[in-house]
Amino acid sequence: MNDLVRAQLAVPSRDELHDFYDSYFETLDSARVSEWPDFFVDDCVYQIIPRENFEAGYQLCTMQGDSKGMLIDRAQAILKTQMFAPRYCRRLYSGLRITGRRDGMITVRQTLVAIQTLIDGPSEILVCGVANDVLEIGTVGLLFKERIVVIDSEMIANSLIYPI
Amino acid sequence: MDAAAPRYWPEAQAGSIPYWIYTDKDNYLEELERVWYGPHWLYAGLEVEVPEPGSYKTTVLGARPVVISRAKDGTVHAFENRCAHRGVRICQERFGSVESFTCPYHQWNYALDGALQGVPFRRGIKGEGGMPRDFDPKANGLRKLKVECVNGAIWASFSHDMPSFREYVGETIWGRYSRVFSGKKLRIIGYNRQLVPSNWKLMLENVKDPYHAALLHVFFATFGLYRPDQKNALEMDESGAHACLTAIMPPKDAAPADGNAVATSLPGFDAGLQLADSRLIEGVRELTGTETVSVMSLFPSVILLQQLNSMQARQIVPRSVDKFELIYTHFGFEDDDEEMQARRVRHANLFGPAGFVSADDGEVLQMTQEGISPDAENASALVRMGGAEIKDATHMATESAIRGMYRYYREVMTA
Ligand code: FES
Ligand SMILES: [Fe+2]
Repeated sequence: MNDLVRAQLAVPSRDELHDFYDSYFETLDSARVSEWPDFFVDDCVYQIIPRENFEAGYQLCTMQGDSKGMLIDRAQAILKTQMFAPRYCRRLYSGLRITGRRDGMITVRQTLVAIQTLIDGPSEILVCGVANDVLEIGTVGLLFKERIVVIDSEMIANSLIYPI
Repeated sequence: MDAAAPRYWPEAQAGSIPYWIYTDKDNYLEELERVWYGPHWLYAGLEVEVPEPGSYKTTVLGARPVVISRAKDGTVHAFENRCAHRGVRICQERFGSVESFTCPYHQWNYALDGALQGVPFRRGIKGEGGMPRDFDPKANGLRKLKVECVNGAIWASFSHDMPSFREYVGETIWGRYSRVFSGKKLRIIGYNRQLVPSNWKLMLENVKDPYHAALLHVFFATFGLYRPDQKNALEMDESGAHACLTAIMPPKDAAPADGNAVATSLPGFDAGLQLADSRLIEGVRELTGTETVSVMSLFPSVILLQQLNSMQARQIVPRSVDKFELIYTHFGFEDDDEEMQARRVRHANLFGPAGFVSADDGEVLQMTQEGISPDAENASALVRMGGAEIKDATHMATESAIRGMYRYYREVMTA
């Protein structure tokens, strides 16, 4: 990327940022799982990591991918190989904040809650936590370079099927 | 049904498991006493979790909170996390390092091995009050468990009359155990914690059941990780309580021949599916032998699993008759390079609450509990794959190890 192009890639406005996340969450909330990897660059990192691991410096995640390919595999597994009870999941975020910027990228932080509803069941909090993201500002728009979701919820009510 | 009525096991007991054992609250309480607080070695953690003198971890064994600590002389101790004075749970943190343990309520102080070493105002104030003269601190420490450290894992028992761990699991299982726990220094990779809404025994059944692995877990069959025709070994100790399931995955380029026919006939098999990033399941051999999978279930408290380069202890903590916690401790070896660490983290995607494979199990356990609960008094499970026999096998079409566990369970519960 030359300097001229980089200069044109201005830091997105808060509206643009909200549009990006709203469309990301809408895709997930509508369970359009196969479209989920499209929000990431090829060389990406995705993690849902328990807070106890994150704070202790342990690398184990509850859900992990270190390439877009692995996210495609996750989507494929959910759609074609995994067995689970039907469910709805909604993700709510607040406190969206740009925490830094560097060459064509911004770092963004947000607080998150995901609410799960099983058939015939009450709606329950599945996880809550904070996401620390790195977004690439591309010519076609924003994409995740990194999405690290640190979950406070250490005891997951059975399964975590869908990404956050 | 009258809670005090004797419980009934169907006559052909080896192949029938009555559903009340998963739903009856009194039976659950009886299990805590006879199984969890009885003569069984319970998984309590890994030695690296309490690396230094003063290091401790808290856990729950059966339903009882327990502290595992390392004393000044390097020995590992386990004692109930319950103040001898008025029952306060002394330690709240999961891990930590202390000089001694002090109860927050009245500051009774305990040494690293659980011995009571300080009672404030024991002699009263200005000669008034205080503990009776005959109060003996030695007799009032925290209640201790018996402990044995075995090649890096910590085993504890509420019973002090225990055979060695090796005797407890028997020579066959010991061989499998010492393949993973060889004494080589371990490294923690991290934890996953899951609350599964089913009876705890269903978890043990699940990992003693090679029959389901290629059927429920479409991921396995699809990506060639577990094939119905592959070389398997299902082994048990003499009592039937413990089992180990091992599998040897055929080399990638081995001609699948009719083996593939078995795999492709599986429901859900889609030959068109390919992994976009095969690093997800690319392992390197690191342990002795050619086994790619080893699933040990050590009754009643833990599953020790090795698959690809993922190694984990899955500790079972019963919470009620229809709920248990499953705590995954993933580990590697101290000398793992960065590549190996990354590989273990990648392979861990198969396991845990979001595991490509394990999530299936959590879900199906919940569905089992939901299925059996409404009519648990009057029905039983049919566990007849492989006939009524309880013996080792080299194929997957058997439920022998489930029958083995319940033969043992029934003995313990009716003795
Ligand atoms: S309850 Fe622990 S010191 Fe009183
Ligand atoms: Fe399974």
